[in-house]
Amino acid sequence: MATNPMHQFNVYKIGPEIKINGIDLSFTNASLFMLISAISISIFLILGTKDKKIIPGKFQLLSEMLYNFISKMINDTAGKKAKPYFPFIFSLFIFVLFCNMVGMLPYSFTVTSHIIVTLAFAMFIFIGVTILGFVIHGFKYLKIFVPSGVPVVLLPIIMIIEIISYLSRPVSLSVRLFANMMAGHTMLKVFGGFVISLGLVAGWLPLTFSVALTGLEILVAFLQAYVFAILTCIYLNDALNLHH
Amino acid sequence: MIKIISLTTSLLLTLKTVNAAEAGMPQLDPTYWVSQVFWLTIIFSAIYFLIAKIFVPKIKGNIDSRESQIRKDIDEANSLKEEADKKLQKYNSLIDEAKLEARKILSEGRKKINEDIQSKKEQIEKDIQKETLEASKEIEKFKINSLNKVNIISEEIISEIIQDIFKEDLNKNSIKATVSEVMKERRN
Repeated sequence: MATNPMHQFNVYKIGPEIKINGIDLSFTNASLFMLISAISISIFLILGTKDKKIIPGKFQLLSEMLYNFISKMINDTAGKKAKPYFPFIFSLFIFVLFCNMVGMLPYSFTVTSHIIVTLAFAMFIFIGVTILGFVIHGFKYLKIFVPSGVPVVLLPIIMIIEIISYLSRPVSLSVRLFANMMAGHTMLKVFGGFVISLGLVAGWLPLTFSVALTGLEILVAFLQAYVFAILTCIYLNDALNLHH
Repeated sequence: MIKIISLTTSLLLTLKTVNAAEAGMPQLDPTYWVSQVFWLTIIFSAIYFLIAKIFVPKIKGNIDSRESQIRKDIDEANSLKEEADKKLQKYNSLIDEAKLEARKILSEGRKKINEDIQSKKEQIEKDIQKETLEASKEIEKFKINSLNKVNIISEEIISEIIQDIFKEDLNKNSIKATVSEVMKERRN
């Protein structure tokens, strides 16, 4: 069981069973690690905003860098109109980032390696952005499926492609994050298993791989959080500023 | 949202098309899907409200206050620089004025000294002239005096010579007349 690389993704309930209308809402290890990530974020941000110095300390500097980083990302991709959605993008980025990073700790659970979690985020963003687009532009929002400057003959095909690409956004968004996290953690586990099974003689090679992979996975954890946030910004941009 | 999830869940459960959970992917086991989404909604909403209401305004406040402080400092530095420039200008103009004044004083002094030298020179020249005049007068006087003395001495000598030779006195007046006549001839 311990050598099964998929074992780390098992969800099991912690504490009493909570059932409302026959739906199981029990607190699980996944919920626990969401909570741990949320508490880590809170502690990080409390430390980051505790002092109000002109010359910032370590945590203040980090939190301000994060703020500026996301602020710049939103400004570059979605423009000034996206300012009200800044707290959401900020929360999204930092939550995904912390879930990914907490998942890098040994024996922990990676919340974002579950398709249902990433799909929930992606569907929320997709539905939210679509509603926002219709609220802002009315039926003109459908112009998003009609790119300008396309010959009339090609228009039906282009429209179908555009609609498919629009509808596949939540899938691509969620599967990208989920698959990256799952694949990385599975690989780490597989190489970790090789270290034990090959023993002292040949176990050094997979150990080296494991160390390198850990570094890569930390990079991927950051990168995927960034990609998730920036794609959200791009979708938001489509809804706010109708370019097509 | 939960409805959609539960709908897909029930759909998957009834169709039993995906039996991947048993095949090795716990992610596709729908048992705790609703629970996960439920807890995700609660926890993410909580962290969202914390971030939106507390942390983002605080960080923004920090950054803004720093920026305003920096702007204030830059403005202050600029105003100080302007003041310094003004002072420098003032200083430069003062120096220019001082230089001008110094030049003026210098030229005045030179003029005064020149005048002084001129006047002293004139004075000295006058004095020299006067003294030369006096000296020449004195010399003239001496000349006349000495001439008279020569006359008298020559008269005396003549009278003595005549006395020695002729053993008799001659009229003093005739000797005098003769001497003065000879002297006049000599002078001429």
